[in-house]
Amino acid sequence: MAVPTTELAATAPQPAPVSPGRRRRLRFAANPKAATGLVILGGFVLLAIIGPWIAPHDPSLRGTDLLQPPSAAHWFGTTHLGQDIFSQVLAGTRSVVVVGFVAGIVSTALSILVGVTSGYLSGAGGESLSALSNVFLVIPALPLIVIIASALPGTDNLTIALVIGLTSWAWGARVLRAQTLSLRRRDYVQAARATGESTWRIILFEIMPNLAAVIASGFISTVIFAVTSEITLAFIGVGDTSTWNWGTILFWAQSQQALAQGAWWWFVPAGLAIALLGTALSLVNFGIDELVSPRLRGNGGTTARTEDGHRVRMRVGFTPVLGSGRKDDPARRQRGSTAASVSERGADHARSRASRPAVRDDAVLEIRGLDVDYGLGDAAVHAVRDVHLTLRRGEVLGLAGESGSGKSTLAYGLTRLLPPPGVVAGGEVLYHPERGEPVDVLRMSPAQLRRFRWAETAIVFQGAMNSLNPVHKVSTQLMDVIKAHDPTSSRADRRDRARELLALVGIAEDRLDSYPHQLSGGMRQRVMIGMALALQPRVVIMDEPTTALDVVIQRQILRQLTELRERLGFSVLFITHDLSLLVEFSDRIAVMYGGRIVEQAASADLYRRALHPYSDGLLHSFPALRGPRRELTGIPGSPPDLRAMPTGCAFHPRCPRAFEPCAQRVPVLGMPRARQGEDRAGDDRAGNDRAGGDHAVACWLHPVQDTRF
Amino acid sequence: MSYLLKRIAFYLFTAWAAITINFFVPRLIPGDPVQALITKARGQLTAEAVQSLYVLFGLDSEASLLDQYVRYLGQLLRGDLGLSFTFFPSPVAEVIGDSLPWTLGLVGITTVVGFLIGTGLGTVAGWRRGSWVDLVIPVTTFLSSIPYFWLGLIAITLLTGPGSFFPASGAHDTGLVPSWDWEFVGSVLQHGLLPAATILISCMSGWILSMRNMMVTVAAEDYVTVAHAKGLSERRVMVSYAARNALLPNVSGLALSLGFIVGGTLLVEIVFSYPGLGLQLFQAVGAKDYPLMQGIFLIITLSVLLANFLADVAYLVLDPRTRREG
Amino acid sequence: MSAGSARPAAPAPEVVLAADGLTKHFPVRARGRALLSRTRPSLRAVDDVSLTLRRGQVTALVGESGSGKSTVARLLAQLHQQTAGSIRLHGEPVSARGGRRFRAYSRRVQLIFQDPFASLNPVHTVRYHLTRALKIHGRAGESRKDLEDALADLLTRVRLTPPERYLDKFPHELSGGQRQRVAIARALGADPEVLLADEPVSMLDVSIRLGVLNLLRDLKERLHLAILYITHDIASARYFADDTVVMYAGQVVEGGDSETVTQRPAHPYTQLLIDSAPDPDRLAGADSGTREAGTGEPPSLITPPPGCRFHPRCPHAMARCRTEAPPPLAIGDSPGHFAACWLYDEARQP
Ligand SMILES: Nc1ncnc2c1ncn2[C@@H]1O[C@H](COP(=O)(O)OP(=O)(O)OP(=O)(O)O)[C@@H](O)[C@H]1O
Ligand code: SF4
Ligand code: SF4
Ligand SMILES: [Mg+2]
Repeated sequence: MAVPTTELAATAPQPAPVSPGRRRRLRFAANPKAATGLVILGGFVLLAIIGPWIAPHDPSLRGTDLLQPPSAAHWFGTTHLGQDIFSQVLAGTRSVVVVGFVAGIVSTALSILVGVTSGYLSGAGGESLSALSNVFLVIPALPLIVIIASALPGTDNLTIALVIGLTSWAWGARVLRAQTLSLRRRDYVQAARATGESTWRIILFEIMPNLAAVIASGFISTVIFAVTSEITLAFIGVGDTSTWNWGTILFWAQSQQALAQGAWWWFVPAGLAIALLGTALSLVNFGIDELVSPRLRGNGGTTARTEDGHRVRMRVGFTPVLGSGRKDDPARRQRGSTAASVSERGADHARSRASRPAVRDDAVLEIRGLDVDYGLGDAAVHAVRDVHLTLRRGEVLGLAGESGSGKSTLAYGLTRLLPPPGVVAGGEVLYHPERGEPVDVLRMSPAQLRRFRWAETAIVFQGAMNSLNPVHKVSTQLMDVIKAHDPTSSRADRRDRARELLALVGIAEDRLDSYPHQLSGGMRQRVMIGMALALQPRVVIMDEPTTALDVVIQRQILRQLTELRERLGFSVLFITHDLSLLVEFSDRIAVMYGGRIVEQAASADLYRRALHPYSDGLLHSFPALRGPRRELTGIPGSPPDLRAMPTGCAFHPRCPRAFEPCAQRVPVLGMPRARQGEDRAGDDRAGNDRAGGDHAVACWLHPVQDTRF
Repeated sequence: MSYLLKRIAFYLFTAWAAITINFFVPRLIPGDPVQALITKARGQLTAEAVQSLYVLFGLDSEASLLDQYVRYLGQLLRGDLGLSFTFFPSPVAEVIGDSLPWTLGLVGITTVVGFLIGTGLGTVAGWRRGSWVDLVIPVTTFLSSIPYFWLGLIAITLLTGPGSFFPASGAHDTGLVPSWDWEFVGSVLQHGLLPAATILISCMSGWILSMRNMMVTVAAEDYVTVAHAKGLSERRVMVSYAARNALLPNVSGLALSLGFIVGGTLLVEIVFSYPGLGLQLFQAVGAKDYPLMQGIFLIITLSVLLANFLADVAYLVLDPRTRREG
Repeated sequence: MSAGSARPAAPAPEVVLAADGLTKHFPVRARGRALLSRTRPSLRAVDDVSLTLRRGQVTALVGESGSGKSTVARLLAQLHQQTAGSIRLHGEPVSARGGRRFRAYSRRVQLIFQDPFASLNPVHTVRYHLTRALKIHGRAGESRKDLEDALADLLTRVRLTPPERYLDKFPHELSGGQRQRVAIARALGADPEVLLADEPVSMLDVSIRLGVLNLLRDLKERLHLAILYITHDIASARYFADDTVVMYAGQVVEGGDSETVTQRPAHPYTQLLIDSAPDPDRLAGADSGTREAGTGEPPSLITPPPGCRFHPRCPHAMARCRTEAPPPLAIGDSPGHFAACWLYDEARQP
């Protein structure tokens, strides 16, 4: 599912090393929010430095223009004493910025000290430090600052800054503690410990660098808080009303009833300055947030434009399908010469259906030329390319491949559940209902799709741990799907059905009202399987349904699944990276590599006579538990990076048998010429629509027979 | 249950810490503040009041710090917060008792309403990313950067004045006597509207933002995808799967932001001359009325603790994982 | 060490690290009614585990998740303190409390983690990770050149060549297999005698697992390392390890040489494990006829079943199994093959 992180195959071009630190900084500066914030912030810091010098008047100097609105002489007007408000605002900037930053530094230092220490130290010391910060967290800060500040003898800026700093560290400490706690459990911290690093080096060099963003964001939040507090204190008259800051201006404005006299200019500039400074700081913080959690990044990801200016709305739960305009895919161009192009085939659909041999009619789900991308235009990563696959009635079709090969993308793409920025870039997914004409899932409206989902195709996801909503009971989650598809059913009926479903997967009915966290991993996965069968779908797609489970539980679940399938007759698309499991469990297997299907055959056939060097390598990577100890070869190199896919056959950099055409031209999936003779049972289907016990492969070692329809 | 007990113990401890801070802070004041107060009061203080001030500031030299502390705790238990200097000879407890309901009403209503609206807007903003709702974010960020009291000032300038529906100050028409009749309640609502709106606008953005971010995060969770895959209606997926789960961190956030809201409310009261604790605190600061300041601090802290506890209970109800059987 | 190789070939290589009766109980928070009882509850992650690691040999530790494999590794690495039992390095009891003694111990016993994506710090380069390992254990040499040579040597050992290409890379710039090689190089930086490898390949793609396992085997042969190979995949134990030890619910249930344990499993749990493993030779439908023991789930480790911990799931459970815990009993079909199961006690008493 995840777009793979930069995987450098040994042969891939080596980019110049960029440190993550530098890379992060670059990305941060490129973030429009952060950049805007930083520019405004820079302006304020500059004013804080030069403000008092460039102020046109002495801010305290009384003049003769009393309470005048803004004019050329006094840009922001004057006070009741004739003082120049513009000069006051300028002069006040310094104290605001200084107090903000001093308080920020004090509070950040304290929060690091308390937060990181209490997070790293286990036991009583850590607990009591954490209790301390929690106490400070719930005591309301402003009243506390007021009573402390008014008890202190001198209330100059520095004192105020210190008081604010000393009372505002708790929030940061709490966040840092939580972060440190989770970092401490990270393997790299454990690994540093196992290497023999000392505690202080671990804190300083292993943990702290990873906290940088959190610390920065905490610092900025404190600065915001400190600035507001300082101004507030000045406004209510705690502190020194004779030094200028924006709060003092407001204090005098308030005490001289500026409002009642209509002297809006007296308090508007200072207030706007505060708001601007606060907004700038918040923007910088947004930038940091987005840097830390990429999910929040850019709302640009949710609506985007294709090359031809088409607006695409990326909607969670309904992956957009780009227009039928075909991309210029070399493989497809090639296919044009060997088989009907997809669009041609679409047009010929009705005719070819009629003339299809009988074996075709047991198709339930037919994927044709499916392309799935992450992102649009030039930025798009082609995760699934030109996939043809047919799922037949009652069969288990296995989809094997390494992580990043596009298995999950295919499964989510064909059901249109791919989260943004995933888009279906082309192809068809034909569902053959029991009666009537096939329907294209990719052309359904959201309402049609909603009705279709689960009723016809159910999905069991990777990791049952997260597939059940932790806050709802199992019964609620079983029953709401029944209700959504059959609103007229009664609650009692639904509950009976839920009970039945649990019984189906061997779970006692007293578990009906359990919450997911009360079930073991295996039970949760069984609940998911039961839920998948709630509406008696004809297709169940299973994405690594047992990967997170132990072999014993895995075997139990697979056995149960086999039994249910025999009883209920649904078809299964079974996705896993474990080829040995598939060989045993599925009827047919399709092997994916680099977003394409490279080989497809009946399980036994594939196991005995894998044609594609990759499938063969995979089969020779599994140690066998029984029989003689075979020699294992494995596959050299590492899986390809989708963003820098090798040309020609994607496997060629790792292929032991690569030869001259491999690096140039993409091999097309088809039935190899040699085998055509052997297995040929009177069907002459091209591409991957060839079904039967056929063995299709995409490799230049096995050139495809090139007759057309 | 043990979770709640632990939280109660924590709040008791925090209350004790706040009380102790309250005890020590006046002892930081150098010199003889009482003398200054006596001078300022121009001999209107009774000997008894002077004595209580000395006790408050820890200047009754014959008692040890521990004795003073014990005596102070005893006084608190009896509800005795000392005598207010500004409203002499009224006890602080009585002064606070007069203004507390106004503040509680204002904070309570605005917090609940703000939380509901903010969470609602945040839900939609997070669910429909890329639509016009995204505009909510920059606007509310700007609004939340404005100090509460300044927003209040602007509101007063723009919306009040002769002939306006909104009164510029007070909690009810001065002519009315507090009672439970329509006239009075109506007047209270009318007076409360503008201060409440000011607080709402300022405090809501935090919730919008955090709810939006949580929604974005939760929308990528597997169980939300499963909900889509089940063909549930979009509304049900949004409310019952995404928002329901995104709400949890917001509820704990509610508790923690209460302190800030209370602080902001105090200031709004000052601007609107609303007869709550804020206005009182303002006057106390101006008059250096330490007993009153401290009393207000204590009462506010205790109320915030109580509110936090309520939020904890709400969390407990919302998240089955914290509920333990047995 | 050279004396060792001069010795006439012994039947079994010298024992480097031995654990005897290793036990680890984690305290858990009491709640509900347990609050009232006087005994403090604990999670018995590891109970009375004995193991030996021999020079130049791989010992596999096999078990399901939660069976305590990782905890054993962390105990052996002294990242956790054992609740009871002893660890001996060359016969000397180990006590690695305190910074200096721990460092001295970690020089000889190194741990490799399961997830190479997580065990390298994202903010540091390969060079930093390896340099630290060398410096901590005083192997960085005198000059800059010594250090460079040592670094190049480490990377060459794990077959990341040419070394210059990898030295200044950050973990995210490496593939999973390369990362795990760096993690192995870091462990080798201490020049240890014992390598504890906690599921070193389970997070890697199938096609590159073999490369890492072959590297480990090669290191074992060239450097005469004693390796503990922890895995949940019993087939890979057969392929890679000389001896295999099977754990269930915190206890050792069977042990012996790998071929015997995988081909003639004695303990009912090992049999279940082997029957459950995917087997391409057993094609779909041919599933019938295997032992139908595959029910139930591993027990709670806070209140484990009395007697044999496997008895609630065991198809052969007898009355005795519910009350008395079976000791390791020799099977007799090959030297050193044992199982903790009462079935083999009866077998010996005619
Ligand atoms: N620090 C700890 N505190 C409390 N319990 C722990 C701790 N570490 C491990 N456990 C528990 O000890 C038991 C054994 O854990 P361990 O990680 O050793 O199992 P494992 O066999 O290696 O599992 P996996 O294959 O999932 O890694 C588990 O129930 C685990 O929850
Ligand atoms: S096409 Fe060439 S490189 Fe690709 S698998 Fe076949 S032989 Fe290997
Ligand atoms: S001791 Fe008894 S219960 Fe345990 S494995 Fe042997 S036969 Fe089964
Ligand atoms: Mg483990």
